[in-house]
Amino acid sequence: MRRIVSVWLPRWPILRFLTAQGSAKAVAPDLPFVLTVDASGGPRIAATSPAAEHFGLFIGQTLSDARAKAGGLLQVQALAPDRDAEALRRLTLWATRYTPAAAPWGIENGGDGFFLDITGCAHLFGGEDALLHDLIKRLKSFSFAARCAIAGTPGAAWALSHAARSLPVCLAEGHEKAALRPLPIKALRLGPDSHAALRRLGFKTIGRLIDAPRAPFAARFESELLLRLDQALGVRREALHYLSPPPAYHAQRSFLDPICAQEAVIATAAKLTEQLIPSLRQDGVGIRGFRLDLYRVDGDVRQIEIGLAAPTRDPAHIARLLALKLDGTSHGLEPGFGFDCVGLAVTLAEKTPERQGDLGTLADAETSAEQQARLVDALKQRLGSESVRQLHAIESHIPERAEISQRADGAAPSWPEADADRLRPPLLLPQPEEARVIALIPDGPPRTFYWRGATHMVTSAQGPERIADEWWRSDAPGLTRDYFRLENSAGQRFWLYREGLYGRETAEPRWFVHGFFA
Amino acid sequence: MFLAPATGLPPPRTRRPKASASLEDLRRLVAPPHRASAPGRFFSFGLPTVDKLLPRQGLSLDSVHEIHAAAALDLPAALGFLTALLVSLPENGPVFIVTSAQSLASIGRLHGHGLHALGLDPVRLTFVEARKDVDAFWAIEETLRSGAAQIVVGLIAQALDLKKSQRLSLAAREARRPLLLLRPPRAAVASAAETRWRVAAAPARREPSGALAGWRWQVVLERCRNGSTGEFVLEWSHASHRFGLAAALADPALPDSAGLGQSRRA
Repeated sequence: MRRIVSVWLPRWPILRFLTAQGSAKAVAPDLPFVLTVDASGGPRIAATSPAAEHFGLFIGQTLSDARAKAGGLLQVQALAPDRDAEALRRLTLWATRYTPAAAPWGIENGGDGFFLDITGCAHLFGGEDALLHDLIKRLKSFSFAARCAIAGTPGAAWALSHAARSLPVCLAEGHEKAALRPLPIKALRLGPDSHAALRRLGFKTIGRLIDAPRAPFAARFESELLLRLDQALGVRREALHYLSPPPAYHAQRSFLDPICAQEAVIATAAKLTEQLIPSLRQDGVGIRGFRLDLYRVDGDVRQIEIGLAAPTRDPAHIARLLALKLDGTSHGLEPGFGFDCVGLAVTLAEKTPERQGDLGTLADAETSAEQQARLVDALKQRLGSESVRQLHAIESHIPERAEISQRADGAAPSWPEADADRLRPPLLLPQPEEARVIALIPDGPPRTFYWRGATHMVTSAQGPERIADEWWRSDAPGLTRDYFRLENSAGQRFWLYREGLYGRETAEPRWFVHGFFA
Repeated sequence: MFLAPATGLPPPRTRRPKASASLEDLRRLVAPPHRASAPGRFFSFGLPTVDKLLPRQGLSLDSVHEIHAAAALDLPAALGFLTALLVSLPENGPVFIVTSAQSLASIGRLHGHGLHALGLDPVRLTFVEARKDVDAFWAIEETLRSGAAQIVVGLIAQALDLKKSQRLSLAAREARRPLLLLRPPRAAVASAAETRWRVAAAPARREPSGALAGWRWQVVLERCRNGSTGEFVLEWSHASHRFGLAAALADPALPDSAGLGQSRRA
């Protein structure tokens, strides 16, 4: 059975506005305050503060009516749904300190709260009641008044957090049906149409709905109605959209005194890795990617994600990568008033071959591939993830297409045998550069060529090697190239080509310098 | 000789020499630490003309070797010499090539098929691309110290001062890995490198038909610690991937054979 916490933050857009506002254009919380959206017939109210409700303002009212009622006291701002959703996402991220499985509510749930799946982790906080109280207390310290409930299904938890008489509720397992019976049907998360139709038919509580025969409902209502009912009762499972997939391995540590120093954070990460080692070893896997979550005292969360070239279980290696990564970022750790909780989540675990390393010969047992993976990891942290590359051969005759530079990811590239007949230069210009050429015969090798402001006398030439463009690549293939290897009087060796065949492809072929032989 | 070399560790003074200390003990105390502790590995070109200039008849494999291009258009030649050296070294394990953004900007980028033609299998290569020279130096040192690469190559534009150079040669010595640095023309020469080579292109060997047969380079050994300097024309055989000395007299392609194979005592 799942255990789901539903955290509802009533009037979330208003709350967000009041807590996020700077001192410059302060909104007085005691005076009526509304958020509006543009609609046909003028702006309408989308959210109201408690003070505004005292004046009889309600959601959906036009702004002009509201102004008439509240007079000059009314404070108006535009609703910003994107910012509300982003702020909710940040708050949900903060809540991952309780469980990595945290899902902010989308529009269908009202967009003003989040679910936490605390199955199996409540004992870490001293039980479900203690967890709930801690959660409420901390939210209160951000001046968020939250309505929280724990139940076996997201639907039931949502219903209880919205409609229960006394909160917080911690519903025992299997009591969903009984707890839902007295609640009004609006606690079922129905659309306005279904809700209005049920009201018209005289259904006021969920209990009446549970007792009524199902078949007529299935025939006369949208499938939504029975789906929501089944989800609330746990007959049908409801999938939650978590912020990030809950990791297979996760360790976390809270501090009474917040930590600030980078060294302390790194040491904590190493300790957390050590905690994970037994379970990693048991499953025969190593860390291939991990995320460090740093929970700041003020509710902000910093996340550091690092991917590794090869699986590892070495805390020292993890610590070193973190140190390199933090040294590389310009703004550093930004601890603010400190971090009071640090979590390490293994986002990617991979099978790792077992090897005997306990005989004091650890350094010898390390294979060269492992050393290389560690080096690549370290280099990537400081120079960027794209900085370590390998060349892969590609089957193409066109020189610039014959190979590709890719991120080194552990897989060794494969190269064909070098072809002595098709000699290639070790240096290739990214863009061929045009040269002016004098040749004795039209399709013969150059006698002299002028390139980059200097004239080169050709003392020896070899060629041509004819390379036609790949006609299957595009409808209008490029011109045929005739490549020549040239040596000038100083002994410097160039790779030039003539673009286009005389008469057949072009009347005036052009010459290009494309590379340099050693 | 009581002074430690500028780049070395101070001599170990773990215990004071006693009156009864043997001559051997005293010698060990006096000897520079790195020579005493590690005999070192050496690579010999197999060409007496070159090898006789080098200490112990070979190139030390635990140190830094700089290869300078004589002119901008000689960079390909210098790179060719570096690649040939790389292929000749006894190691055939992974090679890390550290580049900074500006290092080869004027003459393009490394082409795997071309390196393959010189005998260097691109499978061995890993490229580390740093945006700034400072990061490139860090990457070189990191790569050396990790021991993961058997050979480290640095392609750096500018700004290698004596201090950085000393740091790199210390890292190379401690990691016991060779570091080959390709330097552009007119780069600063003050450095702690073991050897400094200046490479220019030279006309290739011709086959009787006139076709280009083997690349040749005009190589000057400008500086060699504990060795001497010299100048010669080296040839790289495409087929056997071996160094050879250009047969100056037998080859009409070489304009002037006066300076070939001649060595100057430093």
